[in-house]
Amino acid sequence: MADDVRVRYFAAAAEAAGREEETLGAVPTVGELRAVLLARYGDAMARVLASGSFLVDGVVSRDDSRALGSRVDVLPPFAGG
Amino acid sequence: METSATRYARQIALPGFGRTSQERLRAARVLVIGAGGLGSSVIPALAAAGVGTIVIVDDDTVELSNLHRQHIHGLADVGCPKARSAADAVAGIDPSVAVGVHEVRLTAANALALFADVDLVIDGSDNFATRYLANDAAAITGIPLVWGAVSQYAGQAGVAWAEKGPQYRDLFPSPPPPGSVLSCEAGGVLPTVCSVVGSIMATEAIKIITGIGTPLIGRVTTFDALTGGFRELAYGRDPNGTPIDALIDYELFCGTAPTPDTITVAELASELEAGAAITLLDVREQWEADIASLPGSLLIPLGSLESAIRDLRSAESVVIYCHLGARSARALETLKNNGFTTARHLDGGIDAWSRLIDPDMRRY
Repeated sequence: MADDVRVRYFAAAAEAAGREEETLGAVPTVGELRAVLLARYGDAMARVLASGSFLVDGVVSRDDSRALGSRVDVLPPFAGG
Repeated sequence: METSATRYARQIALPGFGRTSQERLRAARVLVIGAGGLGSSVIPALAAAGVGTIVIVDDDTVELSNLHRQHIHGLADVGCPKARSAADAVAGIDPSVAVGVHEVRLTAANALALFADVDLVIDGSDNFATRYLANDAAAITGIPLVWGAVSQYAGQAGVAWAEKGPQYRDLFPSPPPPGSVLSCEAGGVLPTVCSVVGSIMATEAIKIITGIGTPLIGRVTTFDALTGGFRELAYGRDPNGTPIDALIDYELFCGTAPTPDTITVAELASELEAGAAITLLDVREQWEADIASLPGSLLIPLGSLESAIRDLRSAESVVIYCHLGARSARALETLKNNGFTTARHLDGGIDAWSRLIDPDMRRY
């Protein structure tokens, strides 16, 4: 059983989730976190995750099989200037 | 000297600032990419604070729809090059500031020369190709980069300085699929968000030049105008990141280069042989794929494409094919409407492939 993970949502991710952060239990990997977020928050979150980064304890994840740590930040990139 | 002592008196008086910091600002050469919303906040702040040389690169002209947030430009500047309008504003603040004006786009061809000539770069551009280019050129030249970006009611800013910490690529290793992130034109932007984020960027520049405080290295600060709150995110180097030693084609990297809509079987064969990262999207039915298909294809029948498009999240280029090329042309439309601007479809379909490339392939 994986430990609890604190998930922080930024910008459009926070809008999609309706909250700035939450604690989730029993989510062992980045891929499973992605699936949980899609199931909970639907299309709005899908749009964020299409371009946003998962930072696991401050290190960007490129691999869905990566184990989660104690904190995940979901950060979308912005283009505008 | 007396005049400048008066002009900068309120910042020289700051604890830890003093004349030394002021002299460092006067000696500093700063390149600002973009004289738009962020540049409008950054450029006057740097000029007024006493930065000695400001180089502005922007290939755009002022439009009426810019004025709500791009305060450096006025009504009389509509239609004028933004870089020149911004330079005029600097002269109005302090004519002793040296201004470089480049009415061109920052490209892989001119970036390294522009960067090599300055001490610090500020990226307030409005597209990902320029953001990755600025990051890489800063890494190669070893120059600190202050970057900021806005969207709708929110903004983010940080500092990328290769020798001291992680970079923009450590936060966002690959660019988003084209069209998946809203521009200010498409999504709108609250003008004051530009002012806030631009002020943070100018602050970081002043801090780095003068050596005061702790720069936003390895941290991104984010601002949400709707809550009025700032939140910070700490991050480190991406252990799987590849070292940056040369500039690349950033429009191609970001999928924003103009591409033809069709690809011939001969072109596809040679691209695949060269090892190009291509997603082959087969939009035929299962029974057809059972007869013959290109190795490594992803099968999504045309009727299911709209609902399955989310699964196509790869930054790779997509080549769509069907039996003869009609269904793939329709699928191309769907993909283009969903932001896959570089997708192509195979001229003549798999039938042409079996005739011209692989005679052993079953035809039907």
